[in-house]
Amino acid sequence: MTESTTDRGAWRLIARRDFWVRLRERSFLISTLLNIAVISILVLARAYGGGGAGPSFDLGYVGGPAVAQGAAELGAKAGVTVRVHQLTDEQAADAALRDGSIDAVVVGDLLVAKSSIDTTLGGLVQASERNVRLAALLDQHGVTAEERSEANAPLGVQTLEPPPPAHRPENAQVAFVAVILLYGQLFGYGIWVASGVIEEKASRVVELLLSAIRPKQLLAGKIVGIGVLGLGQLIVVATFAIVLALVTGAIKVPLSAIGAAGLVVGWFILGFAFYASLFAAAGALASRMEELQNVIVPINLIILVSFFISIGALQNPDGTLVTVASLVPTSAPLAMPVRMVLGAAPAWQIALSLALIIASTILLVPAAARLYMGAILRSGGRVKIRDAWRAAA
Amino acid sequence: MLQLIELRRRFGDVVALDGLSFDVPEGRIVGFVGRNGSGKTTTMRITLGVLEADDGEVRWRDAPVDADARRRFGYMPEERGLYPKMHVLEQLVYLARLRGTPKDVARARALELLEVLEVIGDPQARMESLSLGNQQRVQLAASLVHAPDLLVLDEPFSGLDPVGVDVLAGVLQREARERGVAVVFSSHQLELVERLCDAVVLIDGGRVVASGTISELRAMRARNLWRVEVAGAGDAWWAAIPGVRLDDRNDGVVILELDDGADPQRVLDLARAEGDVRAFGPIEPSLAQLFREVVAG
Repeated sequence: MTESTTDRGAWRLIARRDFWVRLRERSFLISTLLNIAVISILVLARAYGGGGAGPSFDLGYVGGPAVAQGAAELGAKAGVTVRVHQLTDEQAADAALRDGSIDAVVVGDLLVAKSSIDTTLGGLVQASERNVRLAALLDQHGVTAEERSEANAPLGVQTLEPPPPAHRPENAQVAFVAVILLYGQLFGYGIWVASGVIEEKASRVVELLLSAIRPKQLLAGKIVGIGVLGLGQLIVVATFAIVLALVTGAIKVPLSAIGAAGLVVGWFILGFAFYASLFAAAGALASRMEELQNVIVPINLIILVSFFISIGALQNPDGTLVTVASLVPTSAPLAMPVRMVLGAAPAWQIALSLALIIASTILLVPAAARLYMGAILRSGGRVKIRDAWRAAA
Repeated sequence: MLQLIELRRRFGDVVALDGLSFDVPEGRIVGFVGRNGSGKTTTMRITLGVLEADDGEVRWRDAPVDADARRRFGYMPEERGLYPKMHVLEQLVYLARLRGTPKDVARARALELLEVLEVIGDPQARMESLSLGNQQRVQLAASLVHAPDLLVLDEPFSGLDPVGVDVLAGVLQREARERGVAVVFSSHQLELVERLCDAVVLIDGGRVVASGTISELRAMRARNLWRVEVAGAGDAWWAAIPGVRLDDRNDGVVILELDDGADPQRVLDLARAEGDVRAFGPIEPSLAQLFREVVAG
């Protein structure tokens, strides 16, 4: 009669305790502030670092502005900012080059730089120079304006596949922030689950707890309590990042940022559900807090490798390794959101990835729970996985 | 009533419980006595459901123990431990709520217990900041805070000073007499068990070797010993009565063992004829002696 309701209440009580106890811990405050600090640096670097929409250059000229201005126009079409500066004479140009206020200067027929010229800038100036000469030649031969525009008509453009989203560079930075956040959250809160389990084991309070409730309730309550805390922190930090990015103008497409934040939150829930029971089982195998680092090494490695693959995905979101990683449940919580933010994941891959991680979580949790139950009451040294598995049979 | 019926449990090749059975009636205090490794802790863990029995049954109020019944049990494990960083009062309230006690009730009872058990210190203090003796008392409070129907305490007196022992003894008696709680506790302090318990269960090798009230246990013992002190008596004056043998002698005091047929009054008559009888009476063996006899076989 009342059994089922009280049973349901037990894991809630445990979740609430695990939530509040950690919320009041100083390490939680520190990690929240640290997250916010890192996010702020990334957002502000983007807003004021000038790296925003692509490379930018300062180009000087002495004499006629046509070539320099032409280079700036060509650059604008290619997403390169070229700021044009008029200089009075060669001495001034020389000084400006040496103090670094300009990257190169056009003096008559010469393109002058301090020691080397960026290939992008060089290419723009050369093309502009050609255009100017060509225009002079065409004038000389009396070519009409119609003939010119006909000759200048650009190639028609056609693609085999729909074009990638227009905001990829902007999205790459959003994805970078997302993967950093997800990695920190999955790892940090996973460790909190493991150390919470060890704390109960090492302090022996677990025997008293398990005389009142079932191990599954204790496990579920702990994972939910710590998970909700991690989720809450993530939402606070993500909200802060979006507001900061919009206020400083670091991000021009708010919807994509909010969408990315939603992805991060969603994948944290999936990833935490997948990893938390593993962390709990690992914690149950240890007897003392000193053994924490040892028992979580395998999980640690898997998350770390996934993290590095996902960082690689920022450059090449369509690569084979990255595509596989975004489907495999161990790395999907980090790799898939990157590909999704970059618009590189087709719908069927997203669906497959979701199906795989949900299915494997459903399979994994009972197995991890069994290890946990088999090991949680065994004190005095590391418990072997085989022993724990058999003990709970 | 708690009934343990034919409990069996092995750990690998080691037989911890070998068909152990006994009862703990409500309102009674039962002492659970046995050597180290005789199976006491295993029995208690199985009773609380922390450990599974390989075979046998635990029944409470004539029904198999389920989660509901177990929530009404109080337990003090052999391995003490509470959350070291949690506040004392908060911790007690939490443990009571895990067993279904409403928050307000739990809080009131926790505060009362901290006072009754004479826990010194701020109820808001962290567990780890208390002295070991105080932590032990809080541990006892944790087993009592949800007002259980059955108390199972593994070595509750170990680590307590004499004042603490008296306080706990008083609490256990009050719980049993006034609230009708069934109490079972293990202890190696046999005088304490003798003083406090209505019944004693002696176990050895995972099975009950003797059980009953102290007087029942005494009646069960094999040897019938009498202590006689006679001033100016000669040697071997008792030899005239059949079935009487000398067990021990010390400075004018003799311990005589009487067979079943031998009449103590005959011994007394003879002793008075011999001289001035200063002491005459049966030797009530202490629980410690009974324990040694029973365990030694």
